[in-house]
Amino acid sequence: MTPLAKNSPKERDGALLVAVAAGDRHALEELYLGYHRRLARFLSRFTPRYENVEEIINDTFMVVWQNAKDFRSASQVSTWIIGIAYRTALKSFRRQKNHAGAQSLEDYPEQTVDPTVEAEVSDWLTHGLRLLPMEQRLTLELAYNMGHSLEEIAAITECPVGTVKARMFHAREKLRQYLPNLGGTPSDMPARLG
Amino acid sequence: MSNHRRFENTADHREISALIPWYVNDTLDERERARVDAHMGECVSCRADLSVNQRIFDGIAARPTLDYMPMASLKRLRARLDAAQRQISPASIVPAPLKHDESPWRGWIAASIAAMTVAVALLAADRWVQFEARSSQANYRTVTSSVPRPAGEVIRAVFSPTITLDQLQALLDEAQLKIVSGPTEAGVYSLASNSRLTVRSSLALLRRHSTVRFAEATSEPDSGNTP
Repeated sequence: MTPLAKNSPKERDGALLVAVAAGDRHALEELYLGYHRRLARFLSRFTPRYENVEEIINDTFMVVWQNAKDFRSASQVSTWIIGIAYRTALKSFRRQKNHAGAQSLEDYPEQTVDPTVEAEVSDWLTHGLRLLPMEQRLTLELAYNMGHSLEEIAAITECPVGTVKARMFHAREKLRQYLPNLGGTPSDMPARLG
Repeated sequence: MSNHRRFENTADHREISALIPWYVNDTLDERERARVDAHMGECVSCRADLSVNQRIFDGIAARPTLDYMPMASLKRLRARLDAAQRQISPASIVPAPLKHDESPWRGWIAASIAAMTVAVALLAADRWVQFEARSSQANYRTVTSSVPRPAGEVIRAVFSPTITLDQLQALLDEAQLKIVSGPTEAGVYSLASNSRLTVRSSLALLRRHSTVRFAEATSEPDSGNTP
Protein backbone atom coordinates (compact mmCIF):
# COMPACT_ATOMS: atom_id res chain seq x y z
CA MET A 1 0.00 0.00 0.00
CA THR A 2 1.37 3.40 -0.94
CA PRO A 3 1.35 6.27 1.57
CA LEU A 4 -1.33 7.90 -0.61
CA ALA A 5 -3.78 5.08 0.00
CA LYS A 6 -4.61 6.19 3.53
CA ASN A 7 -5.84 9.63 2.38
CA SER A 8 -9.37 10.39 1.21
CA PRO A 9 -10.10 9.53 -2.45
CA LYS A 10 -10.10 13.25 -3.29
CA GLU A 11 -6.71 13.86 -1.65
CA ARG A 12 -5.29 10.67 -3.11
CA ASP A 13 -6.43 11.62 -6.64
CA GLY A 14 -4.93 15.10 -6.19
CA ALA A 15 -1.61 13.71 -5.03
CA LEU A 16 -1.54 11.18 -7.86
CA LEU A 17 -2.23 13.88 -10.43
CA VAL A 18 0.61 16.03 -9.08
CA ALA A 19 2.87 12.99 -9.49
CA VAL A 20 1.53 12.43 -13.02
CA ALA A 21 2.33 16.08 -13.84
CA ALA A 22 5.90 15.36 -12.71
CA GLY A 23 6.11 12.47 -15.16
CA ASP A 24 5.34 9.54 -12.82
CA ARG A 25 3.96 6.68 -14.93
CA HIS A 26 3.10 4.56 -11.87
CA ALA A 27 0.86 7.35 -10.58
CA LEU A 28 -0.90 7.47 -13.96
CA GLU A 29 -1.45 3.70 -13.82
CA GLU A 30 -2.85 3.94 -10.30
CA LEU A 31 -5.28 6.63 -11.46
CA TYR A 32 -6.16 4.51 -14.50
CA LEU A 33 -6.97 1.46 -12.39
CA GLY A 34 -8.99 3.63 -10.01
CA TYR A 35 -11.18 5.02 -12.78
CA HIS A 36 -11.33 2.17 -15.31
CA ARG A 37 -14.29 0.31 -13.80
CA ARG A 38 -16.36 3.47 -13.34
CA LEU A 39 -15.67 4.78 -16.84
CA ALA A 40 -16.13 1.36 -18.49
CA ARG A 41 -19.52 0.91 -16.84
CA PHE A 42 -20.59 4.39 -17.94
CA LEU A 43 -19.29 4.13 -21.50
CA SER A 44 -20.60 0.61 -22.09
CA ARG A 45 -24.10 2.14 -21.89
CA PHE A 46 -23.39 3.86 -25.18
CA THR A 47 -21.51 1.26 -27.16
CA PRO A 48 -21.73 -2.50 -27.05
CA ARG A 49 -18.15 -2.95 -28.24
CA TYR A 50 -15.51 -3.12 -25.54
CA GLU A 51 -12.88 -2.08 -28.08
CA ASN A 52 -14.63 1.31 -28.35
CA VAL A 53 -14.89 1.63 -24.57
CA GLU A 54 -11.19 0.86 -24.19
CA GLU A 55 -10.24 3.31 -26.93
CA ILE A 56 -12.14 6.13 -25.22
CA ILE A 57 -10.66 5.32 -21.80
CA ASN A 58 -7.12 5.09 -23.16
CA ASP A 59 -7.54 8.30 -25.20
CA THR A 60 -8.76 9.95 -22.00
CA PHE A 61 -5.68 8.89 -20.04
CA MET A 62 -3.34 9.95 -22.84
CA VAL A 63 -4.87 13.43 -22.42
CA VAL A 64 -4.51 13.16 -18.63
CA TRP A 65 -0.83 12.26 -19.09
CA GLN A 66 -0.17 15.12 -21.47
CA ASN A 67 -2.20 17.79 -19.67
CA ALA A 68 -1.87 16.96 -15.96
CA LYS A 69 0.34 20.01 -15.50
CA ASP A 70 -2.53 22.23 -16.65
CA PHE A 71 -4.94 20.95 -14.00
CA ARG A 72 -6.25 23.65 -11.65
CA SER A 73 -7.05 22.64 -8.10
CA ALA A 74 -10.24 24.70 -8.29
CA SER A 75 -12.06 21.64 -9.64
CA GLN A 76 -12.01 18.04 -8.46
CA VAL A 77 -9.70 15.58 -10.18
CA SER A 78 -12.63 13.21 -10.75
CA THR A 79 -14.65 15.96 -12.46
CA TRP A 80 -11.67 16.85 -14.63
CA ILE A 81 -11.01 13.24 -15.71
CA ILE A 82 -14.68 12.46 -16.34
CA GLY A 83 -14.93 15.72 -18.29
CA ILE A 84 -12.10 14.60 -20.56
CA ALA A 85 -13.81 11.22 -20.97
CA TYR A 86 -17.10 12.99 -21.74
CA ARG A 87 -15.59 15.06 -24.56
CA THR A 88 -13.63 12.11 -25.93
CA ALA A 89 -16.76 9.95 -25.89
CA LEU A 90 -18.87 12.65 -27.52
CA LYS A 91 -16.42 12.90 -30.42
CA SER A 92 -16.26 9.13 -30.78
CA PHE A 93 -20.04 8.67 -30.67
CA ARG A 94 -20.54 11.44 -33.23
CA ARG A 95 -18.13 9.66 -35.57
CA GLN A 96 -20.00 6.39 -35.04
CA LYS A 97 -23.35 8.08 -35.59
CA ASN A 98 -22.16 9.43 -38.91
CA HIS A 99 -21.43 5.86 -39.92
CA ALA A 100 -24.68 4.43 -38.56
CA GLY A 101 -27.01 7.15 -39.87
CA ALA A 102 -29.04 9.61 -37.85
CA GLN A 103 -31.79 8.29 -35.62
CA SER A 104 -33.48 10.10 -32.79
CA LEU A 105 -36.78 10.43 -31.02
CA GLU A 106 -37.56 13.38 -33.28
CA ASP A 107 -37.61 10.87 -36.12
CA TYR A 108 -40.52 9.10 -34.40
CA PRO A 109 -42.77 11.86 -33.00
CA GLU A 110 -45.83 9.63 -32.74
CA GLN A 111 -44.09 6.54 -31.49
CA THR A 112 -45.03 5.37 -28.02
CA VAL A 113 -45.11 1.99 -26.35
CA ASP A 114 -47.44 0.77 -23.66
CA PRO A 115 -45.68 -1.63 -21.32
CA THR A 116 -47.95 -3.88 -19.37
CA VAL A 117 -45.21 -5.62 -17.44
CA GLU A 118 -42.11 -4.31 -15.64
CA ALA A 119 -39.68 -6.17 -17.91
CA GLU A 120 -41.00 -4.19 -20.86
CA VAL A 121 -40.26 -0.92 -19.05
CA SER A 122 -36.61 -1.90 -18.93
CA ASP A 123 -36.62 -2.74 -22.66
CA TRP A 124 -38.38 0.50 -23.41
CA LEU A 125 -35.92 2.47 -21.33
CA THR A 126 -32.94 0.94 -23.09
CA HIS A 127 -34.52 1.70 -26.46
CA GLY A 128 -35.73 5.17 -25.50
CA LEU A 129 -32.33 6.23 -24.18
CA ARG A 130 -30.65 5.17 -27.42
CA LEU A 131 -32.93 7.47 -29.37
CA LEU A 132 -32.16 10.61 -27.36
CA PRO A 133 -29.73 13.18 -28.77
CA MET A 134 -26.28 12.33 -27.44
CA GLU A 135 -25.82 15.43 -25.21
CA GLN A 136 -29.19 14.82 -23.54
CA ARG A 137 -28.49 11.13 -23.03
CA LEU A 138 -25.04 11.78 -21.61
CA THR A 139 -26.49 14.35 -19.22
CA LEU A 140 -29.17 11.93 -18.06
CA GLU A 141 -26.67 9.09 -17.62
CA LEU A 142 -24.25 11.36 -15.73
CA ALA A 143 -27.05 12.10 -13.26
CA TYR A 144 -28.83 8.74 -13.05
CA ASN A 145 -26.04 6.28 -13.78
CA MET A 146 -23.02 8.08 -12.30
CA GLY A 147 -24.91 10.02 -9.60
CA HIS A 148 -23.39 13.43 -10.36
CA SER A 149 -24.82 16.66 -9.00
CA LEU A 150 -26.07 19.46 -11.23
CA GLU A 151 -22.91 21.52 -10.61
CA GLU A 152 -20.62 18.56 -11.30
CA ILE A 153 -22.35 17.87 -14.61
CA ALA A 154 -21.98 21.54 -15.54
CA ALA A 155 -18.23 21.26 -14.80
CA ILE A 156 -17.85 17.94 -16.64
CA THR A 157 -19.67 19.13 -19.74
CA GLU A 158 -18.23 22.68 -19.52
CA CYS A 159 -21.74 24.10 -19.83
CA PRO A 160 -23.71 26.60 -17.74
CA VAL A 161 -26.00 25.05 -15.14
CA GLY A 162 -28.98 26.34 -17.14
CA THR A 163 -27.89 24.34 -20.20
CA VAL A 164 -27.61 21.17 -18.11
CA LYS A 165 -31.11 21.73 -16.73
CA ALA A 166 -32.46 22.36 -20.22
CA ARG A 167 -30.85 19.19 -21.62
CA MET A 168 -32.23 17.17 -18.76
CA PHE A 169 -35.67 18.74 -19.16
CA HIS A 170 -35.83 17.83 -22.87
CA ALA A 171 -34.56 14.30 -22.22
CA ARG A 172 -37.20 13.74 -19.54
CA GLU A 173 -39.98 15.16 -21.70
CA LYS A 174 -39.05 12.98 -24.67
CA LEU A 175 -38.87 9.86 -22.56
CA ARG A 176 -42.19 10.70 -20.92
CA GLN A 177 -43.88 11.21 -24.28
CA TYR A 178 -42.33 8.01 -25.57
CA LEU A 179 -43.99 6.09 -22.77
CA PRO A 180 -47.01 8.05 -21.45
CA ASN A 181 -47.95 5.52 -18.77
CA LEU A 182 -44.54 5.42 -17.13
CA GLY A 183 -45.49 7.75 -14.31
CA GLY A 184 -48.78 6.04 -13.44
CA THR A 185 -52.28 6.64 -14.76
CA PRO A 186 -52.81 9.34 -17.37
CA SER A 187 -54.99 11.25 -14.90
CA ASP A 188 -51.86 11.94 -12.84
CA MET A 189 -50.44 14.04 -15.68
CA PRO A 190 -53.29 15.80 -17.44
CA ALA A 191 -51.30 18.87 -18.50
CA ARG A 192 -48.46 16.89 -20.09
CA LEU A 193 -50.53 14.31 -21.89
CA GLY A 194 -53.45 16.38 -23.00
CA MET B 1 -58.15 26.81 -11.97
CA SER B 2 -56.98 23.48 -10.56
CA ASN B 3 -54.11 23.20 -8.07
CA HIS B 4 -51.53 21.87 -10.49
CA ARG B 5 -52.37 24.55 -13.08
CA ARG B 6 -51.93 27.24 -10.44
CA PHE B 7 -48.47 25.93 -9.46
CA GLU B 8 -47.31 25.26 -13.02
CA ASN B 9 -47.52 28.95 -13.81
CA THR B 10 -45.14 30.01 -11.06
CA ALA B 11 -41.40 30.54 -11.39
CA ASP B 12 -40.96 28.47 -8.25
CA HIS B 13 -42.66 25.51 -9.91
CA ARG B 14 -40.41 25.71 -12.96
CA GLU B 15 -37.30 25.93 -10.78
CA ILE B 16 -38.35 22.99 -8.63
CA SER B 17 -39.34 20.91 -11.64
CA ALA B 18 -35.85 21.39 -13.10
CA LEU B 19 -34.28 20.12 -9.86
CA ILE B 20 -36.25 16.85 -9.75
CA PRO B 21 -33.51 14.67 -11.34
CA TRP B 22 -31.05 15.75 -8.65
CA TYR B 23 -33.69 15.30 -5.95
CA VAL B 24 -34.02 11.73 -7.24
CA ASN B 25 -30.25 11.06 -7.31
CA ASP B 26 -29.92 12.64 -3.85
CA THR B 27 -27.29 15.27 -4.68
CA LEU B 28 -29.23 18.43 -3.72
CA ASP B 29 -28.05 20.38 -0.71
CA GLU B 30 -30.29 20.51 2.35
CA ARG B 31 -31.85 23.87 1.51
CA GLU B 32 -32.79 22.85 -2.03
CA ARG B 33 -34.08 19.48 -0.84
CA ALA B 34 -36.32 21.21 1.71
CA ARG B 35 -37.68 23.49 -1.04
CA VAL B 36 -38.51 20.52 -3.25
CA ASP B 37 -40.12 18.67 -0.32
CA ALA B 38 -42.33 21.66 0.47
CA HIS B 39 -43.36 22.07 -3.16
CA MET B 40 -44.13 18.37 -3.61
CA GLY B 41 -46.73 18.60 -0.84
CA GLU B 42 -48.67 21.14 -2.91
CA CYS B 43 -48.07 20.30 -6.59
CA VAL B 44 -49.74 17.27 -8.22
CA SER B 45 -47.87 17.80 -11.48
CA CYS B 46 -44.44 17.70 -9.78
CA ARG B 47 -45.39 14.59 -7.83
CA ALA B 48 -46.28 12.86 -11.10
CA ASP B 49 -43.01 14.10 -12.59
CA LEU B 50 -41.12 12.78 -9.58
CA SER B 51 -42.76 9.39 -10.02
CA VAL B 52 -41.69 9.27 -13.69
CA ASN B 53 -38.12 10.25 -12.86
CA GLN B 54 -37.88 7.81 -9.98
CA ARG B 55 -38.86 4.99 -12.37
CA ILE B 56 -36.33 6.13 -14.97
CA PHE B 57 -33.65 6.29 -12.26
CA ASP B 58 -34.60 2.82 -10.93
CA GLY B 59 -34.69 1.45 -14.47
CA ILE B 60 -31.21 2.80 -15.24
CA ALA B 61 -29.81 1.48 -11.96
CA ALA B 62 -31.35 -1.95 -12.59
CA ARG B 63 -29.76 -2.45 -16.02
CA PRO B 64 -27.17 -5.24 -15.96
CA THR B 65 -23.57 -4.10 -16.07
CA LEU B 66 -20.45 -5.89 -17.23
CA ASP B 67 -17.18 -5.50 -15.39
CA TYR B 68 -14.15 -5.47 -17.62
CA MET B 69 -10.64 -6.42 -16.60
CA PRO B 70 -8.47 -3.33 -16.90
CA MET B 71 -5.02 -4.96 -17.12
CA ALA B 72 -5.04 -5.80 -20.82
CA SER B 73 -6.29 -2.28 -21.62
CA LEU B 74 -3.62 -0.80 -19.36
CA LYS B 75 -0.94 -2.75 -21.23
CA ARG B 76 -2.10 -1.17 -24.46
CA LEU B 77 -2.04 2.28 -22.83
CA ARG B 78 1.54 1.61 -21.72
CA ALA B 79 2.47 0.73 -25.29
CA ARG B 80 0.95 4.02 -26.51
CA LEU B 81 2.80 5.98 -23.82
CA ASP B 82 6.05 4.26 -24.77
CA ALA B 83 5.47 5.09 -28.43
CA ALA B 84 4.66 8.73 -27.58
CA GLN B 85 7.72 8.99 -25.37
CA ARG B 86 9.99 7.64 -28.11
CA GLN B 87 8.86 10.51 -30.34
CA ILE B 88 9.92 13.09 -27.77
CA SER B 89 13.56 13.96 -27.34
CA PRO B 90 14.83 13.14 -23.85
CA ALA B 91 15.51 16.79 -23.07
CA SER B 92 11.93 17.82 -23.71
CA ILE B 93 10.32 15.41 -21.24
CA VAL B 94 11.16 17.71 -18.35
CA PRO B 95 7.73 18.46 -16.86
CA ALA B 96 6.48 22.01 -16.55
CA PRO B 97 5.84 23.25 -13.01
CA LEU B 98 2.32 22.91 -11.62
CA LYS B 99 0.33 26.10 -12.03
CA HIS B 100 -2.10 25.73 -9.13
CA ASP B 101 0.43 26.50 -6.44
CA GLU B 102 1.64 30.04 -6.99
CA SER B 103 3.05 32.98 -4.93
CA PRO B 104 4.09 33.65 -2.14
CA TRP B 105 6.21 30.51 -2.49
CA ARG B 106 7.83 31.43 -5.78
CA GLY B 107 11.37 31.35 -4.38
CA TRP B 108 10.89 27.90 -2.93
CA ILE B 109 9.15 26.71 -6.05
CA ALA B 110 11.95 28.02 -8.23
CA ALA B 111 14.47 26.19 -6.07
CA SER B 112 12.34 23.03 -6.12
CA ILE B 113 11.96 23.23 -9.86
CA ALA B 114 15.69 23.63 -10.29
CA ALA B 115 16.29 20.56 -8.10
CA MET B 116 13.54 18.68 -9.87
CA THR B 117 14.95 19.60 -13.27
CA VAL B 118 18.30 18.13 -12.29
CA ALA B 119 16.59 15.01 -10.97
CA VAL B 120 14.45 14.65 -14.06
CA ALA B 121 17.45 15.22 -16.32
CA LEU B 122 19.21 12.38 -14.51
CA LEU B 123 16.08 10.26 -14.83
CA ALA B 124 15.79 11.14 -18.51
CA ALA B 125 19.41 10.17 -19.04
CA ASP B 126 18.78 6.88 -17.26
CA ARG B 127 15.66 6.23 -19.33
CA TRP B 128 17.58 7.09 -22.48
CA VAL B 129 20.17 4.48 -21.60
CA GLN B 130 17.39 1.97 -20.93
CA PHE B 131 15.68 2.92 -24.17
CA GLU B 132 18.88 2.44 -26.09
CA ALA B 133 19.28 -0.96 -24.51
CA ARG B 134 15.69 -1.88 -25.39
CA SER B 135 16.06 -0.60 -28.94
CA SER B 136 18.77 -3.11 -29.62
CA GLN B 137 16.30 -5.93 -28.90
CA ALA B 138 13.35 -7.03 -30.99
CA ASN B 139 10.31 -4.98 -29.94
CA TYR B 140 7.82 -7.74 -30.61
CA ARG B 141 7.24 -11.21 -29.28
CA THR B 142 5.07 -13.99 -30.58
CA VAL B 143 2.67 -15.84 -28.30
CA THR B 144 4.71 -19.04 -28.48
CA SER B 145 8.17 -17.50 -28.63
CA SER B 146 10.82 -18.85 -26.36
CA VAL B 147 11.11 -16.51 -23.39
CA PRO B 148 11.75 -17.25 -19.73
CA ARG B 149 8.63 -18.99 -18.52
CA PRO B 150 6.88 -18.15 -15.28
CA ALA B 151 7.25 -20.94 -12.71
CA GLY B 152 4.72 -23.71 -13.23
CA GLU B 153 3.40 -22.40 -16.55
CA VAL B 154 1.80 -25.21 -18.58
CA ILE B 155 -0.62 -23.32 -20.81
CA ARG B 156 -0.73 -19.91 -22.48
CA ALA B 157 -4.15 -18.50 -23.24
CA VAL B 158 -5.83 -15.38 -24.58
CA PHE B 159 -9.36 -14.55 -23.44
CA SER B 160 -12.02 -12.37 -25.00
CA PRO B 161 -11.64 -8.75 -23.80
CA THR B 162 -15.29 -8.82 -22.72
CA ILE B 163 -14.86 -11.75 -20.34
CA THR B 164 -15.82 -10.79 -16.78
CA LEU B 165 -13.76 -11.62 -13.70
CA ASP B 166 -16.43 -14.06 -12.52
CA GLN B 167 -16.49 -15.83 -15.88
CA LEU B 168 -12.70 -16.06 -15.95
CA GLN B 169 -12.56 -17.44 -12.43
CA ALA B 170 -15.28 -20.03 -13.19
CA LEU B 171 -13.45 -21.07 -16.35
CA LEU B 172 -10.13 -21.47 -14.53
CA ASP B 173 -11.80 -23.41 -11.70
CA GLU B 174 -13.37 -25.76 -14.19
CA ALA B 175 -10.07 -26.36 -16.01
CA GLN B 176 -8.20 -26.60 -12.68
CA LEU B 177 -5.81 -23.82 -13.64
CA LYS B 178 -4.48 -20.66 -12.04
CA ILE B 179 -2.91 -17.52 -13.48
CA VAL B 180 0.81 -17.27 -12.77
CA SER B 181 1.58 -14.33 -15.06
CA GLY B 182 0.06 -11.90 -17.54
CA PRO B 183 -1.60 -10.52 -19.39
CA THR B 184 1.19 -9.48 -21.74
CA GLU B 185 0.73 -6.61 -24.19
CA ALA B 186 -0.86 -9.14 -26.52
CA GLY B 187 -3.26 -10.17 -23.74
CA VAL B 188 -1.56 -13.55 -23.13
CA TYR B 189 -1.95 -15.20 -19.72
CA SER B 190 0.41 -17.86 -18.35
CA LEU B 191 -1.52 -20.59 -16.56
CA ALA B 192 -0.32 -23.25 -14.15
CA SER B 193 -2.11 -26.42 -13.15
CA ASN B 194 -3.97 -26.48 -9.89
CA SER B 195 -4.49 -30.25 -9.70
CA ARG B 196 -3.52 -33.62 -11.13
CA LEU B 197 -5.71 -33.00 -14.17
CA THR B 198 -3.64 -33.53 -17.31
CA VAL B 199 -2.66 -30.54 -19.41
CA ARG B 200 -4.54 -32.11 -22.31
CA SER B 201 -7.76 -32.23 -20.24
CA SER B 202 -7.35 -28.68 -19.02
CA LEU B 203 -6.75 -27.52 -22.59
CA ALA B 204 -9.84 -29.33 -23.83
CA LEU B 205 -11.94 -27.74 -21.09
CA LEU B 206 -10.60 -24.28 -21.94
CA ARG B 207 -11.16 -24.66 -25.66
CA ARG B 208 -14.82 -25.52 -25.17
CA HIS B 209 -15.50 -21.91 -24.20
CA SER B 210 -16.17 -19.23 -26.77
CA THR B 211 -14.48 -16.65 -24.50
CA VAL B 212 -11.14 -18.42 -24.98
CA ARG B 213 -9.57 -16.96 -28.09
CA PHE B 214 -6.40 -19.02 -27.91
CA ALA B 215 -5.01 -21.76 -25.68
CA GLU B 216 -1.85 -23.79 -26.21
CA ALA B 217 0.27 -26.04 -24.02
CA THR B 218 3.81 -24.83 -23.44
CA SER B 219 5.09 -28.39 -22.99
CA GLU B 220 4.01 -31.82 -24.23
CA PRO B 221 0.25 -31.81 -23.54
CA ASP B 222 -0.07 -35.56 -22.96
CA SER B 223 2.17 -35.55 -19.93
CA GLY B 224 0.58 -35.42 -16.51
CA ASN B 225 1.15 -32.40 -14.30
CA THR B 226 3.07 -32.39 -11.16
CA PRO B 227 0.86 -31.12 -8.39
